[in-house]
Amino acid sequence: MKLTDREQDGVVVLEPKGKIMGGPDATLLHDKLYEFIQQGRTKVVIDLSRIEWMNSTGLGILIQGYTTLRNSDGQLKLAKVTDKIQSLLTITKLVSVFDAYDTVEDAIASFN
Amino acid sequence: MSAELLRTLCYFLTGGFLIFLAITITRDNFRSRLNRVTGAMLFFAGLGPLFMALGSVLAQSATAPLGFEASPVYKLRHLWEFFFPLLLLFSCLFPFDRLSRAGYRYIRLAIFLPPLMHSVIVLFFDQLSSALDIFHVDPGDEGLSSLVVQPLATLFSWLKLTLNVLRGYERSIFAVISIAYVVAAGYFLESGRKRVTNPKILTQTRWVLTGTRIGLGLYLVAQLGWMLAPRLFSEGVTSSLLVTALLAGSGLFIFATIRHQFLDVQMVFRQSFVNTITSALLVGVYIVMVVQSRAIVASMFGVEAELVSYGFIILLLLFFQPINNWVDDLIRSMFMRTRTDHRNVIERFSRQVISLFDPTQLRQTIEETLKTTLLVNRVYFILYDDSITEYAMLPSDDHPRRVVIDRQDLMLRGINLLDAPTYYRSLTDYSPGSDLATMLETRGVRMVLPMKDADHLLGFVALTEKAAGYRYSSEDLNLLGVLSNQMVSALTNARLYVESLERTRLQEEINMARQIQLDLLPSNPPTIDCSTICARSTPSRTVGGDFYDFIKIDGDRLGVVIADASGKGMPAALMITQTQAMIRSEVNNGTPIASMLKNVNQQLAATTSAEKYVTLFYGELDTRRGTFHYANAGHNYPILARSDGTIELLKTGGLIIGALPHMEYDEDTVTLGPDDMLVLFTDGLSEAMDENEVEYGEDRLRQLVCNHRNQKAHEIMETMLNDVRSHDPTSPPRDDTTIVALKMNGTISAHE
Repeated sequence: MKLTDREQDGVVVLEPKGKIMGGPDATLLHDKLYEFIQQGRTKVVIDLSRIEWMNSTGLGILIQGYTTLRNSDGQLKLAKVTDKIQSLLTITKLVSVFDAYDTVEDAIASFN
Repeated sequence: MSAELLRTLCYFLTGGFLIFLAITITRDNFRSRLNRVTGAMLFFAGLGPLFMALGSVLAQSATAPLGFEASPVYKLRHLWEFFFPLLLLFSCLFPFDRLSRAGYRYIRLAIFLPPLMHSVIVLFFDQLSSALDIFHVDPGDEGLSSLVVQPLATLFSWLKLTLNVLRGYERSIFAVISIAYVVAAGYFLESGRKRVTNPKILTQTRWVLTGTRIGLGLYLVAQLGWMLAPRLFSEGVTSSLLVTALLAGSGLFIFATIRHQFLDVQMVFRQSFVNTITSALLVGVYIVMVVQSRAIVASMFGVEAELVSYGFIILLLLFFQPINNWVDDLIRSMFMRTRTDHRNVIERFSRQVISLFDPTQLRQTIEETLKTTLLVNRVYFILYDDSITEYAMLPSDDHPRRVVIDRQDLMLRGINLLDAPTYYRSLTDYSPGSDLATMLETRGVRMVLPMKDADHLLGFVALTEKAAGYRYSSEDLNLLGVLSNQMVSALTNARLYVESLERTRLQEEINMARQIQLDLLPSNPPTIDCSTICARSTPSRTVGGDFYDFIKIDGDRLGVVIADASGKGMPAALMITQTQAMIRSEVNNGTPIASMLKNVNQQLAATTSAEKYVTLFYGELDTRRGTFHYANAGHNYPILARSDGTIELLKTGGLIIGALPHMEYDEDTVTLGPDDMLVLFTDGLSEAMDENEVEYGEDRLRQLVCNHRNQKAHEIMETMLNDVRSHDPTSPPRDDTTIVALKMNGTISAHE
């Protein structure tokens, strides 16, 4: 997984690319979020459009990120969720937990 | 050849031999005080026999002037007595240097006074005697001058008397002094030997001591015998005894030097030394034979035939080379078997360490090798400790505590830069503020041996000074370089061995965990009325994160569980075991299904981090009513294939278990009719991938179940596994794979 980030309208937009699996991916995302929280930037959108695949550990990483931000009075939202991930979220009933939007702009707008 | 001639020859050879030895030892390492003192001692020891030989030759010579004993050169013979103070000095240097410490400077000079006096008296007796006569006072002379002169004259006459006594009894007096030296030296050597711990120095000391003892014993017998029973101990007997004493003492010195590397004499020198002596002896024998060839031939044939004697000489010369080689080899094999040869050390060391995997034993071998071959006094190990990721100085005899070294220590960083054995004194740039430097200095470290594997410093060995104050030669440095490389491979081997043991142990533990996990799975599917059930779970690793369970609630009801923990292997297995236990206890308490999942989620969310979760499906089959009551916590939808070909998915429930606390769950009930088939599975099946990373997919799985809905429970299970395996033949599967299949009988009829 590769991870780039940018800021738009006071919201951090994370753009992971590739596959989200266990191991180093978990630390990478966790460290990034921790960094944002330290800087007081707790509104985060993850753009999932370029994620090819995600396994159970990858899903765990997203949940961890969600919890971490929520514990710091922040929020994690998802944007451009692919069909594959959408079905994963549906089966696990995580759709009820994550706010997911069709576009990054919608996700950002939802913070205001 | 008369006995007298033989004895003269013997004196001459002994003297030459000792002086040659003295020169060799001194020349090889002039910087070492021990070598200098030993050289000087042997040199003066050699002077004795040489003068005896000279005296013997002159006494026999017909042309010698009478009273040759008064000749200035012959008078010098007493110089050999300097041997005794030098022997005393030697005993103070070997095996321990007692002189460097205390200020014995004047005593060191004073012990040379008696032999000096002896020589001066013998050389200048007449001059001294007449010089003491200058204040001769006539008996009748009285006056002022006599008042001044008289006391001086008295003093000088006393001095002259002393001188006369010394001259008259010089031999006895100085013999007694020499005996005193000998006894003192014997005492020092003996007491020094008791302090020796280094095994090699101990062997050397034994040989040197034996030589000294034999020499001293013979010397005492000769001198005391001459003093007490002069008739028995004539001049000839005494001198023979003295020469034998010198020969025995020096012979054993040489043996110790060559065989046990006594003194800092290098291999090359020792070898050339032996060669020189053998060649000299052989050439000497040849010269005698050539000179005597005429006489030998005459005695053999009874006539003097000049031609035959030439032939004899040629024959002798033809044999010279082979005989010389043979003698060479013989002596070499006698002396050079020594294990101090560095090649032997390396060979022996590598042979030993290759079979040593115990780090402690390995260190002991290294220490022993360094102590015996290089005569290092003490050896310290500073090694990297994987368990604490720090360097630590290991305990030693004199410092029994292990000391951890700060990784930022300047000296440690300095040593990290080294590639070869290095003198500690060249590392002083790194000493300021370094605790390690203080430690090394208090331990008297002289040499540092870094052990590097690629660029990683495994640690280093610190060596103190060598025993008896020998220096580290360039030969030693080369040897240390090779040894440190060998130590690196040995230490690495030992570490890998320990790691492989550890791995084996871990694997055994995992195997035991697998057995426990297998035991936790129901061994046989329960037999129940109106349906058949079968199940199979295959972990992708030794232990897995899937499980299924059947829990008999009462005569009519059976609980069915399938679950999948996130991740794989041991962490997933631990979580799944906990979940299984919680489910079983909730079911036994009779908790309603939705509350049960809520409780389990609450407990698991509280004890694990958010990224660890379990997808879980729990259902209860009621055979009497023909119903299936269930809740799905984020698990892959179980497939219910009706006998008429319709497919239903059991979705009702709630969020995956363990991710977030305070979750609510829904439950639902489906009615099961005759020949209906229910299939529960984990994502190991639906997410199996072919080589193009195309997933098998849930749709395909549903279609498959639908198409084969008429099969029996165990048949549909095989069909599914086979079809998935044809999509992804990887074995064992990439992910844990579990199926539970439940097939209703054809005769079932719902009651009520």
